[in-house]
Amino acid sequence: MHSKGGKNLHYKIALAQINPVLGDIEKNLLKHEEFTKKAIKEKADLIVFPELSMTGYKLGDLTMEVALPYESDFFKPLLTLGKHIDIVLGFVERGKDKNSYNSAMYISEGRVKSVYEKLYPPTHGMFDELRFVARGKEIKTFDTKIGKVSMLICRDIFHPSLMFLAYASNADIVLVLSNMPLRGLKGEKPAIQETVEKAIDTYTNFFGMFVAYVNRVGFDDGLGFFGGSFVCTPSGRKLAYAGLFDEALTFAEIDSEEIFKKRQTFPLLREEDMNIVKLNFDKILEDSYD
Amino acid sequence: MTDLSLNYEVLSKFLVYFIKEEVQSNKFNKVVLGLSGGLDSAVVAYLSAEALGKENVIGILMPYKLSSPDSLNDALLIAKKIGIKHETFEITDIVDQYFKKINTTDKMRIGNFLSRVRMSILFDRTREYDAIVMGTGNKSEIMLGYTTWYGDMAAGLYPIGDLYKTQVFELAKFMKIPEKILNKPPSADLWPGQKDEDELGAVYRELDSVLYLYIDERKSMEEIISLGHSKKLVQNVIRRVNSTQFKRTIPPVAKFSARTLGIDFLYPHDMGR
Repeated sequence: MHSKGGKNLHYKIALAQINPVLGDIEKNLLKHEEFTKKAIKEKADLIVFPELSMTGYKLGDLTMEVALPYESDFFKPLLTLGKHIDIVLGFVERGKDKNSYNSAMYISEGRVKSVYEKLYPPTHGMFDELRFVARGKEIKTFDTKIGKVSMLICRDIFHPSLMFLAYASNADIVLVLSNMPLRGLKGEKPAIQETVEKAIDTYTNFFGMFVAYVNRVGFDDGLGFFGGSFVCTPSGRKLAYAGLFDEALTFAEIDSEEIFKKRQTFPLLREEDMNIVKLNFDKILEDSYD
Repeated sequence: MTDLSLNYEVLSKFLVYFIKEEVQSNKFNKVVLGLSGGLDSAVVAYLSAEALGKENVIGILMPYKLSSPDSLNDALLIAKKIGIKHETFEITDIVDQYFKKINTTDKMRIGNFLSRVRMSILFDRTREYDAIVMGTGNKSEIMLGYTTWYGDMAAGLYPIGDLYKTQVFELAKFMKIPEKILNKPPSADLWPGQKDEDELGAVYRELDSVLYLYIDERKSMEEIISLGHSKKLVQNVIRRVNSTQFKRTIPPVAKFSARTLGIDFLYPHDMGR
């Protein structure tokens, strides 16, 4: 870790591509500790776990049984480890508003720094999330020792509007926690992996920021999660790749200078006129009620 | 003809991971499967041995007096080739004992009975081996309902349940399953001379194209016909799929309580592994 603020930052990020046990938060907590300790040993500054890393994905009626308030003592062992490394994990949040959420937690300096509730839990076909959790309402971009961070969860990244909001709030890196089930096995790569990589390629290129995508592996009731976690630079270059199907702890060295360089040579955010976006968007919203 | 090709290298890896993890999630290390001498059970046996180690796969051969001798020989060939443990239980006496009292020549009825006797034996063997029954059904037969309900459909896992028969064939080729198994016409072998493609009225390549368009691409009957498939075939396939949905769902429960199985008692299958 070097400097802060507008200055250049060098840091190491660990992608924890794990296979959680469905519904067993105790076992999963141990796995988080184990991976985090390894990442600390490797002098990583941040470790990112997948969506619902503490609980597994296809919870159904287990959802309310594994829900935890973000202040729960359950997370204490990770808060302790979080004095040495920033930790991002996925869990079912028992919200203050008495709803459950599919949430991401950012731990830093031994405390919970931010909690993001998934904005677009998919509910169609094989997905049934809104039956069990509520939708979040707010994109959160916050300052950390690695720069401005936004967190998004899985389906969120197929909504360019959310990536745009992270960009509009000048995020340096978007951390994507994912539980993307495999589908499409015709091509060289699974079709869904192609889709994710193409989307993130495009986002990083045009928004001039880093994206760390962390997807789980393993199976929940026949849904197979492919992994394939990676980091993408502001020029769409893959920095690290965790491979398909196996658990992995993969590291990437990030140099935030790349963001500055990219935004000087391709100054899209400087050009962007948020007021024009807002005016037009307000008009679209107004018209849609005509 | 619709393109049903797949990346068999990634697919076979994916299926091996599936078997490894889902067998474990069900709290087993071993699997039992019926080895018929046909392609589907051969593929599942190969995949299971790769996932779990050959010592954890038990093939059960259950010939009836009217079964083709080739079936038994081919099943033995597969068991030996993979090096898995296998057992042979001839089911003739059990079946004939029953049909001595029931006077019927209904082939379907006898065929279903054979299938359910085999199911009983497989599940009984799991007690001895502390194992789970591997399903060997493919997507074509499951979707067409060309299966025996609680017979060959009864299983703990369906590793090739999302693969059409032509895809199972290509996967088998990729996995280098003996030519002899690849080249024989698909048959349930419930009576002499029975062949899937005769009974279903078309070759699998054609059936699978129609199934794929109807199921995976959600095309209507008219759309599928306009793509060049015969009206008779398309009607037949769609009728089969729609009329056999009961085999693929939990039976309706008369719901009156707060939480009811199949309706709103929605725990996952793999909980608490």
